[in-house]
Amino acid sequence: MSQTVSLPATSSRLALTDVKTPNIQSRGLNFYFGDGELRKQVLFDNNLDVMPGEIVIMTGPSGSGKTTLLTLIGGLRTAKEGSLKVLKQEMVGASAQQLVRLRRQMGFIFQAHNLFESLTAFQNVKMALELFDFSQQEMRTRITETLTRLGLGHRIHYKPDSLSGGQRQRVAIARGLVHKPKLILADEPTAALDEKSGREVVTIFQELAREEGCTILIVTHDNRILDVADRIVNMVDGRIKSNVYVQESAKVCEFLQKCDFLRDLTPRTLVEVADKMFREDFSSGDTIIRQGDPGDKFYLIRKGSVEIEATRNGETKIVAVLGEGDFFGEMALLTDAPRNATVRAKEQTVLYALGKADFLSVIEQSPTFEQELRKSIFERQ
Amino acid sequence: MVRFGRIPLARKNLTHDYWRLAVAVGGIGFAVMLMFMQMGFRNALFDSTVKVIDELNADLIIVNRSQFALPAPQRFSIQRLVQARECPGVSGAYPLYVEGFLSTLRRPRQKAYAIRVLAFEVNDPVFRSTAIRQAMPRLKPPNTALIDSHSKPKYGIPVHDPERLSKQSIELSGRRVQFVGLFEMGADFANDGNVIMSAQNFARYFPYRGRGADPLSIVDLGIVRLTPHADVQEVQQHLENLLPDDVRVFTKQGFRQAEMGFWRTSTPIGYIFGVGLALGFVVGVIICYQIIFTSVSAHMPEFATLKAMGYRDRYFIALVVCESLYLSILGFIPGLLASWGLYTLLARWTGLLMILTLPRASLVYGFTLAMCMTSGCLAMRKVLSADPAELF
Repeated sequence: MSQTVSLPATSSRLALTDVKTPNIQSRGLNFYFGDGELRKQVLFDNNLDVMPGEIVIMTGPSGSGKTTLLTLIGGLRTAKEGSLKVLKQEMVGASAQQLVRLRRQMGFIFQAHNLFESLTAFQNVKMALELFDFSQQEMRTRITETLTRLGLGHRIHYKPDSLSGGQRQRVAIARGLVHKPKLILADEPTAALDEKSGREVVTIFQELAREEGCTILIVTHDNRILDVADRIVNMVDGRIKSNVYVQESAKVCEFLQKCDFLRDLTPRTLVEVADKMFREDFSSGDTIIRQGDPGDKFYLIRKGSVEIEATRNGETKIVAVLGEGDFFGEMALLTDAPRNATVRAKEQTVLYALGKADFLSVIEQSPTFEQELRKSIFERQ
Repeated sequence: MVRFGRIPLARKNLTHDYWRLAVAVGGIGFAVMLMFMQMGFRNALFDSTVKVIDELNADLIIVNRSQFALPAPQRFSIQRLVQARECPGVSGAYPLYVEGFLSTLRRPRQKAYAIRVLAFEVNDPVFRSTAIRQAMPRLKPPNTALIDSHSKPKYGIPVHDPERLSKQSIELSGRRVQFVGLFEMGADFANDGNVIMSAQNFARYFPYRGRGADPLSIVDLGIVRLTPHADVQEVQQHLENLLPDDVRVFTKQGFRQAEMGFWRTSTPIGYIFGVGLALGFVVGVIICYQIIFTSVSAHMPEFATLKAMGYRDRYFIALVVCESLYLSILGFIPGLLASWGLYTLLARWTGLLMILTLPRASLVYGFTLAMCMTSGCLAMRKVLSADPAELF
């Protein structure tokens, strides 16, 4: 049985039995600015899942809605349509009280440092802890630890006007991290920093994600820090254009490249193909393709194995067993003929499927692809 | 809201920029001073006017029924005092003569200025002032008098130099007068200075007062003393019944209030200073609002960040209230000091009673606090409008 067909293949980690609930889960989220005649929709049907421990980088041109999405996730605005769950709290229709309580579990890092000039680094960071019932001793320990970790151990009692731009930003980051939030929302956190400080900051993000299971959402145009992202979400005109779990995408491309007829495609084309695939899960014994049905999808086996059973001249026999990284289903699409065999899952299997239209358009774009495919089909016969 | 060990953000934000703080404190101090001055003038009017009543050693005061204010004298026959002495509970009824129209004071070859003359039978316990009582024997010789050391400087009387005072040649209503001592009373809005003398001398200086009769037979105020343990209200009632309808009997406090009431309600002066006070308050609100608003505006992104972090509105309300409170205190102190200095100077120049009492200072502080709080509330909307969503 196929499930959750809408989930794009490369949008999440493979782990099937990932029972952890996402820290962020949005479904059909719409958002509008203004009212009545002036109402303007800025977010359209946003679906996004972010797991604990993930670092997500959101990109997109200005005005694409990524910042709006960030403010919705941060509980700084409230949406009225769709669903948005953050740290298990439904944000659509949540009360102001609920939002405030939730925001205390988040860390905010803004593009400007927004530190009080009248307070020292220590005191500025302490503002974040005074919302909780920590003892003075514990506050002192945590603040000192956090600032030291950010390389400001020797600047703890300095006021912002005697700190450099990078140091100020790091104080602001310390303020966003000191209460060990489960979710960190950062807007261009490295924009004001030089390469080295920027690298230090994202390294700390990675440690937090890995050690504390903290989810980190970064809006950035800084391509120097793209490598820390587990997932890159690209937004255009209020829609999530692509939502790529980077490692998974790499894995799929690796598999696709192993196919003879895809070998010559550029990585960019491969990524595009991977992006268009969506995930289908099957249990042992499920029929994936039935012989004689019209062909509508091309399949890549991500995990598990399938057996191919063909009935020729009234005789039914298993002609092949395919495993991880193998693909099938391309022939019916190319020849517009019915399926020439039945494919059944042998165990719990994850397939990445590519729709007929997408498949054909990729092939049209790439003569090499078609040639290779034809050759491959020829050789298999 | 303010817990031990919390960062005192209101105080830190206010004191971070000393220059700005100084300007703020100066501005609020100025408004405080405006209010103090308006209130000072208003109180000076009342205090100075009733000062002469306060100085009287009276339990009850008899006046002509048609008198409405001290500077507009209506007199009555001394016969009423003779009658009053018969009333049970009265130990004495003494005449006080007042002349404010016919009396002028003049140094040789100088202009003459009107001055109020108070006169009493020497040895009558009419005044409370010990200076006056001690000077009584000196008032017995002809053409002697006491001069109010708080009289306006325009009279040119060397009140601070006893030697010159005794030698100074001065005319009172065309007759030489010798000042043989000082007392303290002060000017008011109708009188610029005071002279006290014996009734006998008074009769010499103002012989026409009685319109042909004995000038001392017509009295301005009757000072009534009661026997110990006599009930003031009871005796007052008794006297009212006893005496003909041409006079009224007041308790000292009642007379004081009636006099003040006249100035407060029958003249525009009380209102004028009331309006002045209100204007001072409004100016203060505007100055204070500017200061708090600027201080708040300068920190909008920081406040928005705190909001994003989960600080609630009540934190910001407490913050602004706290800033207003600090500003009211910081602004009040220099305002109070400056006003005190100005009061002293004005009291010296005008002879008016500019008195800074604790209740009055407290009242002005109350106004200052209200002023700062009003401004704080106006600026509050700005703080509460800080929108963290705009920070991204």
